[in-house]
Amino acid sequence: MENNTESNVIIEAQNVTRTFWMGEVEVRALRDVSLKIKRGEFVAIMGSSGSGKSTFLNQLGLLDIPTSGTIIIDSVDTSRMSEKEKGEFRLRNLGYVFQDYALLPELSAIENVYLSLMMQGKNKEECQKAASAMLIAVGLEDRLKQLPSKMSGGQQQRVSIARALAHKPRVLFADEPCANLDSTASKQVLELFRKFNKEEEQTIVMVTHEDWHVEYVDRIIRLKDGVLE
Amino acid sequence: MTLIFLQIVLFSSILGGVTIQFNKLMVDYQTGNLVIEPSEEEKYIENTSSLQKKIEGLPEVIGSSARLRNSGVISYQGKEVGTAIYGIDAGDESLVTHLESAMIDGEFISRLDRGEIILGREVSGGYGALMESKSLGGVEVGDTVDVKIEGINREFRVKGIYSTLYSNTDSSAYVNKADMEEIIGVKNRANEIAVKTTSDINEGDARMKLLSLGIKEEVRTWHEFAGMLKTIENTLTMLRNVFSAIGLLIAFVIIFVVIYVNIVNKKRQIGVQKAIGIDQKVIVNSFVIQAMLYAFIGIMLGYLIMHYIISPYTITHPIQIAVGPISLILENFEALSRAVLLFLAAVIGSFIPAYKLSKKGLLELIWGK
Ligand SMILES: Nc1ncnc2c1ncn2[C@@H]1O[C@H](COP(=O)(O)OP(=O)(O)OP(=O)(O)O)[C@@H](O)[C@H]1O
Ligand SMILES: [Mg+2]
Repeated sequence: MENNTESNVIIEAQNVTRTFWMGEVEVRALRDVSLKIKRGEFVAIMGSSGSGKSTFLNQLGLLDIPTSGTIIIDSVDTSRMSEKEKGEFRLRNLGYVFQDYALLPELSAIENVYLSLMMQGKNKEECQKAASAMLIAVGLEDRLKQLPSKMSGGQQQRVSIARALAHKPRVLFADEPCANLDSTASKQVLELFRKFNKEEEQTIVMVTHEDWHVEYVDRIIRLKDGVLE
Repeated sequence: MTLIFLQIVLFSSILGGVTIQFNKLMVDYQTGNLVIEPSEEEKYIENTSSLQKKIEGLPEVIGSSARLRNSGVISYQGKEVGTAIYGIDAGDESLVTHLESAMIDGEFISRLDRGEIILGREVSGGYGALMESKSLGGVEVGDTVDVKIEGINREFRVKGIYSTLYSNTDSSAYVNKADMEEIIGVKNRANEIAVKTTSDINEGDARMKLLSLGIKEEVRTWHEFAGMLKTIENTLTMLRNVFSAIGLLIAFVIIFVVIYVNIVNKKRQIGVQKAIGIDQKVIVNSFVIQAMLYAFIGIMLGYLIMHYIISPYTITHPIQIAVGPISLILENFEALSRAVLLFLAAVIGSFIPAYKLSKKGLLELIWGK
């Protein structure tokens, strides 16, 4: 571990506010939230429904633009990036796991995984090698060519984890990755997260509302009505 | 996609088949490729046998048939039918038209037969005649009919009955030229000479060849005889263009809508691709390429079905309609222009929604908010 605390911080949220407008009604989903997440940390964002967990994760993951405040990732002020630059940044540096897996139905497991690698301009052989290595790492060595529709929820979620991690992102974001899974499949997913967190020092930010998930993570961030508790 | 392509190709090719069929019937059963007619003030072409020899000397000419044509009245058991009656040389006629093979009962008249007549089914009646009430109402082979030409009555034995499905020819009758010459008192003359040319020369060139022999009579190509047929053909062509334009428009809209809706339903998928960081251009292109692929496959399938199944089938089993049997013929140029348009529909129908969606905000795409 380095001593310099600044370079240990991978994401920093500074006074992030996100307000939605539903017609005339103002919904203040996040209010002036500041937070630092360290490199290699496994963080859980928790809180009751509607507390702003997803909204916060979307700000951190550059999927949304805060109404005010900034997100700094690896010392880069992302508020200065154009949409196109953000897209490029997400492609190269960030990984996402969605609650409903969000795999592309026309593509096989391995194609889903190497899609983002291909987009980074790597050659096909390289992509396929990395993708199959990733699928083996998540325990799907026998499903490389299968379509998502032929897989169980847990298997699909593991494909989506492989997709999110294939390009070695600096941060992995996961919004309730286990919400649609039974406890066995949930455990597999969480154990995978922990494995990548420990072995590869993968930074992970995960939204969850299951209390038993806390034993897998390093730190818990609690939100209530858009503010940190 | 395949179905739409088939439908519009099928429809316009039915109409196309009809027009082509009209012309083909006329050439096959009446005019041949060229017709020589007397020059304007004359009633007859004189000295036909030497003229025919001259014509038939040309390598491009398969045969020629000099005909005497008269209107006459045929009566049988109290019924009368006014009709065109041709005096022909049976051997010559068979070189020019397919009349001999159009016999549906009895036999074709032969060169030596005298006092024998063959009737079109519209004259004889029966045999599925379209206008039975205007016919003699069921004359059979072997019956004797009364024929009155230029005031002279003759009895003829019915030797055969034919049906070409070409209504003009089917409401005529043919007798031996020698009989006709006797009745009207002419020799070695004709009202028209129909000429059949080889298929490798077009009618215009063939006409010039004949004229260069120094023929002083009128030489016309069959196109000039299309007359009423021409108007029908024009109407049909117009109808056909209108219908295929409508068909094409409908097809265009259907393809557009199907692809559009299909892509709109993939909103979330587009959102996910965008979230991962895939370039907007790549996303749009992938949908357009996909639509193009589907369009291409659909069109190829439609074309192949048309080309290898429906066309050959209808050529061997023509569809019987009032004007005669028609086959569905796919003109390559038409098929191509349609294919291009449908293809365009697919491209536009995929580009617009994919582009519009990929421009939208991520949250809206992924969470439908
Ligand atoms: N796009 C939006 N437009 C309007 N309001 C929104 C939008 N997104 C979120 N909100 C509102 O912001 C608040 C926080 O929403 P958020 O989705 O972040 O909650 P959450 O903690 O993830 O809840 P859950 O546990 O149900 O997923 C809610 O009141 C929600 O209705
Ligand atoms: Mg949520």
